[in-house]
Amino acid sequence: MSDSNDTKSAGSEGKKQSIGDWFEERTGYRALLGHALNEPVRGGAKWAYIWGSALVLTFVIQAVTGYLLMSAYTPSATTAWASVAHITFTMRAGWIVRGLHHFGAQAMVILLVGHLAQTALFGAYKRPREMNWFLGLALMGVTLAFALTGYLLPWDQKGYWATRVATNIVGSVPAIGPWLQSVLVGGPEYGHMTLTRFYSLHVGVLPAALVLLLVLHVALFRKHGVTPPAHVDEPGAPPAKVDSFFPKQVGMDLLFGLAILGGLFALAWREHGAPLDAPADPASDYPARPEWYFLALFEMLKHLPGSMEAVGAVGVPLVLGGYLVALPFIDRKPTRALKARIGILAPLVLMGLGAVALTVVSMRNDAADPAFQKARQLASERSERSIALFKKGVPPEGPLAMLRRDPETRGPELFAANCASCHKLGDMAPPEGKVSAPDLTTFGTRAWVIAVLDDPDGDHMFGKTPFKGNMPSVAKPPADPEAAKDFKPMSDADKNTIADFLVAQAKGDRAEGSAGEKLVKRRCTGCHRLDGKQDESGSEESLAPELRGWASVAWIQAQIDDPGSGKAYPKGAGAPELKGKMPGFADKLDAADRTLLANWLHRRSQVAK
Amino acid sequence: MAESKEAGNTEQSAPQPADESRRGALKVLVTAGSIAYAGALAAVGASFATSTVGGETRERWLRAARLADLPEGEPRRVPMIGDARDAFTVTPAEQLGSVWLLRKGNDVKALSATCPHLGCAIDLAADKKGYSCPCHTSAFSIEGATQSGPSPRGMDLLATRITDGWVEVDFRKYRQGTAEKKESAS
Repeated sequence: MSDSNDTKSAGSEGKKQSIGDWFEERTGYRALLGHALNEPVRGGAKWAYIWGSALVLTFVIQAVTGYLLMSAYTPSATTAWASVAHITFTMRAGWIVRGLHHFGAQAMVILLVGHLAQTALFGAYKRPREMNWFLGLALMGVTLAFALTGYLLPWDQKGYWATRVATNIVGSVPAIGPWLQSVLVGGPEYGHMTLTRFYSLHVGVLPAALVLLLVLHVALFRKHGVTPPAHVDEPGAPPAKVDSFFPKQVGMDLLFGLAILGGLFALAWREHGAPLDAPADPASDYPARPEWYFLALFEMLKHLPGSMEAVGAVGVPLVLGGYLVALPFIDRKPTRALKARIGILAPLVLMGLGAVALTVVSMRNDAADPAFQKARQLASERSERSIALFKKGVPPEGPLAMLRRDPETRGPELFAANCASCHKLGDMAPPEGKVSAPDLTTFGTRAWVIAVLDDPDGDHMFGKTPFKGNMPSVAKPPADPEAAKDFKPMSDADKNTIADFLVAQAKGDRAEGSAGEKLVKRRCTGCHRLDGKQDESGSEESLAPELRGWASVAWIQAQIDDPGSGKAYPKGAGAPELKGKMPGFADKLDAADRTLLANWLHRRSQVAK
Repeated sequence: MAESKEAGNTEQSAPQPADESRRGALKVLVTAGSIAYAGALAAVGASFATSTVGGETRERWLRAARLADLPEGEPRRVPMIGDARDAFTVTPAEQLGSVWLLRKGNDVKALSATCPHLGCAIDLAADKKGYSCPCHTSAFSIEGATQSGPSPRGMDLLATRITDGWVEVDFRKYRQGTAEKKESAS
């Protein structure tokens, strides 16, 4: 586009044309570009005007990253989570794309507030720009709808529960609520249809609506031009300075846009993309919270009685929206001077302050709530575990099946639900004073063996079970003074030898012929079985368990299946008349769960120090 | 620069030469900034869009058939069963493809049933003395050598071994349409 070419450009008989001229002759693009760039900015370029352009620039980020995500995301309840994990952790630059999209969405909300505030303060909603004010409000609605629908798409715990709450709020609206809810959800329950509906809204309907509204919004903006500060139009003011849109205003807009883009890259870098919670699990307990920009609404709901739900969650936003729509009609004085409009803008300011206050209160409440923090901690651990499992591959049944087959995830769940009402294991324990079975925290380890040898009737061992009094301590003399006379405590060396033998059993090593086996045969098989056999002094009535294979997977599973199986504890230990005995779980848990539980308990003992 | 003059005309006061050069510099800066903005997004997009995942080549021994069940000198087509990975989904015990096994004594030759031409499944020829591809009529001998048709190379030979009476095949995939036998990622 050099000057020298301009003089030759009209030539049509073989004279040299620049590429620009070639296109100009066929498209007239220069006029179009000039029209776009040379728009006069009355009152001069201003930092105050950057919000609208920044929204457009951020929308470009959302569109680009959105199209990219569409090329890898698979919307179904069994694949959505795994495909998002695939994008974030496997695909090249996937974490950047998802991070930009995730944080870009939040930037849009912040920029919207800035744009709205600037327009309101400058009085840009006044005649003749009312229509553009309405278009702007519609665009705000579409943007929030984007945020709501997009939140569900990863189909993780966070999005799932937040959206479930949101659609339940819709359902609480009088008259049309239930119908609207079932249309949104695509049926009575959350699932494939919900996800595809939200997806089609998010990538089909909403983008079309946004682009249409945006074109109208920008066209009307161009028709009326910027709204300069009030003093520019005051009678007697000097003639206004006019800049052309390019380059000064474009430069300001772009600088802001680049700062936002840089910020988004930084956030994506810090989070390695965007957070991804564990896969959505309808049967789980989850401390649901909405994204931060809906926290104010969430906090307000906590303080309203249930019957006021619809009023609070739908009514309040409707009233606020109604105020914004009505603003150009309420404020009909021609002046745009801020002083004259303080009363009229007061609700907007109060709205803003109220939202900030409620958000802060909500965050503080959560930060000070140990129960919430604990639940959040559990959710994070589950998320980390899910991602670790994902890397090995997700079964076709989906990520929930993956978690249900994972001993590290499912084991504690099964233990908490089925065993922890009697046994203690780490943090999982019956209520204080209700322990009625041995503590399994160190089961299968040397520490446990020594503990049971020293104090079998301790409350943490068999002291609260029907087996109390059956096994003598090797460390404490018996209560009977006669017997106590002959009592000699077992040496530490012997205890360790026995522990060696039993720990070997737990590892699956029979340790035949070992010193430990010999000592066990001498000291223990009067009551205990070894390979099903007691020594000559042994009594059939003894309820002492089999020691061969003790604490091995098979031993543990036999005990879980049927505590009177004879494989772990003898038949008598399962007798119905034995009060406080352990119940069998063969008919309570399915086979896969019982095997998983046995494996998990066993593995715990093998990794314990 | 032609544009700067035109743009200058829209302003009400005539610009000073110093202003004019500052404006020119600003234009260059803004244009460069726009390109940087678009470029950053384009670079991320291009990297993501061309990301193909998976795909390291590796040994994969799969159990094919019992040696005793294979007839001498007569090709048998057997399915290859293993864990199938599709991006993030791993399906256990899925049919991954099939191979032709030809036994000679205790030696078993395994030929991939995927045509090296364009990837159709190769079947036994009508006379059972060789193989033929139903798509573009490539014909192969019983040993897998090309006899006629467009296939650029013979059928792909796969390594075999016998373990506890079972024939195992190292199941791999090769690029199609090339004369050279080159492994493709699976």
